[in-house]
Amino acid sequence: MSSSVTPPSRGPDGTPPRPSRRRFFGTAAVALAAGGAAGYGVRTATAAGTGGAVATGSTTASGGATTDRSASTVPFYGARQAGITTGQQERLMFASLDMTSTDPRDLRLLLGRWAAMAARFTSGQTVSSSPDKPEQPPFDSGEVLDSGPYSLTITVGLGASLFDQRFGLAGRMPAALAPLGTIPGDAVLQPELTGGDLCIQACADDPQVVFHAIRNMVRAARGTAVLRWSQLGFGRASATGAGQSTPRNLFGFKDGTNNIHADDVSATSDHVWVGRKTDQAWMRGGSYLVARKIRMEIESWDTDELSDQEKIFGRTKVRGDPLTGGTEFTPIAFDKADADGTPVIDPASHVRLASPEENGGVRILRRGYNYTDGQDPQTGKLAAGLFFIAYQRNPHLQFKVLQARLGSSDLMNEYIAHIGGGIWACPPGVAEAGDWFAKSLFTPV
Amino acid sequence: MFTLRRDRARRSAATTGLLAAGALLLSGCAAKSVATGSPSGPAASGVASSAVASSAGASSSVAAPAGAAASGAAASGAGSSSPGSSAATPGGPASVAITITDAKGCIASPDTVVAGAVTFTVKNIDATGITELELLSDQRILGERENLTPGFDSTFSVTVDGGSYQIYCPGGATEKIPFTVTGQAADVATGSTATLLQTATVHYSTYVDNQIEFLIPPVQELVTAIKAGDLAAAQAAYARARPFYERIEPVAESFPDLDSAIDLRIGDVEAGTAWTGFHPIEKGLFVTKSTRGLEGLAADLLTDVKNLQVKAKALSQATTAKTGKGYQPFEIANGASGLLDEVLKSKITGEEEAYSRIDLLDFQANVEGSLQAFATLQPALDQIDPTLVPTISSKFDALVAVLDTYRDAKALGGWTPYPELTAADKKKLTDALLAVQEPLSAVSAKITR
Repeated sequence: MSSSVTPPSRGPDGTPPRPSRRRFFGTAAVALAAGGAAGYGVRTATAAGTGGAVATGSTTASGGATTDRSASTVPFYGARQAGITTGQQERLMFASLDMTSTDPRDLRLLLGRWAAMAARFTSGQTVSSSPDKPEQPPFDSGEVLDSGPYSLTITVGLGASLFDQRFGLAGRMPAALAPLGTIPGDAVLQPELTGGDLCIQACADDPQVVFHAIRNMVRAARGTAVLRWSQLGFGRASATGAGQSTPRNLFGFKDGTNNIHADDVSATSDHVWVGRKTDQAWMRGGSYLVARKIRMEIESWDTDELSDQEKIFGRTKVRGDPLTGGTEFTPIAFDKADADGTPVIDPASHVRLASPEENGGVRILRRGYNYTDGQDPQTGKLAAGLFFIAYQRNPHLQFKVLQARLGSSDLMNEYIAHIGGGIWACPPGVAEAGDWFAKSLFTPV
Repeated sequence: MFTLRRDRARRSAATTGLLAAGALLLSGCAAKSVATGSPSGPAASGVASSAVASSAGASSSVAAPAGAAASGAAASGAGSSSPGSSAATPGGPASVAITITDAKGCIASPDTVVAGAVTFTVKNIDATGITELELLSDQRILGERENLTPGFDSTFSVTVDGGSYQIYCPGGATEKIPFTVTGQAADVATGSTATLLQTATVHYSTYVDNQIEFLIPPVQELVTAIKAGDLAAAQAAYARARPFYERIEPVAESFPDLDSAIDLRIGDVEAGTAWTGFHPIEKGLFVTKSTRGLEGLAADLLTDVKNLQVKAKALSQATTAKTGKGYQPFEIANGASGLLDEVLKSKITGEEEAYSRIDLLDFQANVEGSLQAFATLQPALDQIDPTLVPTISSKFDALVAVLDTYRDAKALGGWTPYPELTAADKKKLTDALLAVQEPLSAVSAKITR
């Protein structure tokens, strides 16, 4: 699965990561260093298992002031789709599409075309090598012609709605993909920002690269499928590799300190990848994506006092250590109480409700991004928040369990609202050219 | 908007007369000859030399427009459905297997056949960058297949005479390979794609002339109603006139001064320039709700429309006379696509008819004009790729079907006033529109200049 070459990881006793290359840059220029680190991690912690060619990537300029991440690539072909346990890149564009054609052949062709395009884009190529014809619109939209792949990954998923009567797939839907039903906190989910027959997650270390990928794949779908909704994410809000620093969400807190890391093979095989025991063989080696567009009530949050903000999270704001003490990576002492018997970590704090300890060991791989859509013209407030993405083996046993508790009790609910999202089955990887996304779904059992 | 028009006009002026689309005239008339599959029209020259037969797999037998030799439309077989037997029976059609690989480009086996019907089976193994394949003869496309995604097979058939051909896989390691046909095919007629395209330009010019002819009476009525101070009659005449102009707008745009004079919106009028044409009249009739002061504008509009008629006729004559200065086939294709672009830019946004709110009437007219322009090209396109026309036509049908749900006989112009559409309605229309525009925008490249 993961490449054997791994970035510096946490010590066996759970101590914080050893200083890594990036941390040397980091002391001087925090933002710059964090960026460089992500690119480095991506090349080493690849999701695909082919061990295939990894382009020589970043070259650190003498003096270490800049890092060229443009040429970094993540292998596209492999047993698993990249973009799940791949070290998280800095930028996201996510798209949900609905099929307009009801011809199964169109669906297969689309998944094949997307696979071919994804193979090219992730290696830094454009839509086609064909010479453009003067009398015809260019094959590629062109906005990344002078760019590189910037560790682009493209991950494709299939929604439950695809398994209706239209394409003859009704009998092939995995039970794990069944709609989650209403979960507390879903009250304001907007249908136009929710669901979709297909999804594409494009992640890279450059915003234009992810936009280009989605734009051209949506274009290729015209006449077969249409864009239902989409989201641009501007800042990594999770760490998926032990070598990655814990990023901050728009509330200013470190998010994802205890996230599953890509190099933790037992955690990914236990919690992320669909294994042999599945009702649908075509999903073996795949994973289920749950997305939630979570609006943050930024203006309200900004008027909440620091102690309350920290109580809501259960961690300190600046350092990210648990309120029970230690450093960011110190295990949280959930049992610890004040002299008067009050738990130090509030029973309704975010960190407690989301913790594996309080949820029978349930874990998910988070891969969220901060987002903003500018200003909400209706209210005048900032339209911003967290585009939450989680991967898991079974959303009913993982995301739903966590979100049911968070949605009903989380202190943070006063400051957030789930306004969109969905659940998709991400099939195993595209093995080689000629294979395509979910090909085995379409072959006779 | 205006900027774009000017750019377009410049572009067209550089090539020759511009182009655009036409429309199906409800009242019939001469425009009919342009309608889909006119039996005595383009195909009269008989069986085409590159007649395209259909083929394997899931053939969606959408009838090709009359005259085209094709009786069905080939579909590219997808996934597991492999094409049928390729055994070359003596006297039967020859079979050629084309294999596309990333390393070598395309390879044809055999690369020499005897004249007659040939069925090509195309298999893309792993060339992610190659999505199409063409059979060329002197730069002319005789047969073509698109969507050659790795892992999918495709098939097409052509009837070829003896000679040297090329198989072209753009983007491949070897882009062009020679293909030889020996002997002479029986019953090969001379009707060529070029002939069909020339016929298309003549048909299209007739269509444009008709639309302008039909535009003049309602503009005349507008002048009369305004002069008489009859607001209701003037509003009705305005709505009657608009579609004739909107169906052929790209042609009008090829005369930049006229198009500005006739159809400029207030936001596009440069400071110090007079605002003339349809839209100041529209504002008077629907906002001020008075005919007062509009007499001069209406009279000028009539003059400009008549001027447009004269210029368009000159284009038509040049087209018929084959002087090379008339409508060009690729311009018709561009115009068809350009009309849809009009819709996307100024109709779907509700900007075009800001006062009368009859945007959907213009919308429908643009679509109809696009459809008619495309229809004139169909017989020729059917020779190039028999899947092309059915694919695009079905998308046009879907668009028209969505549009039709907004007909409202009681409303001015016969369509739901634009402000009554919801965001979801507009998304539905946009989606249907894009589904047509994307494949349509690639059509002109299939037509030899």
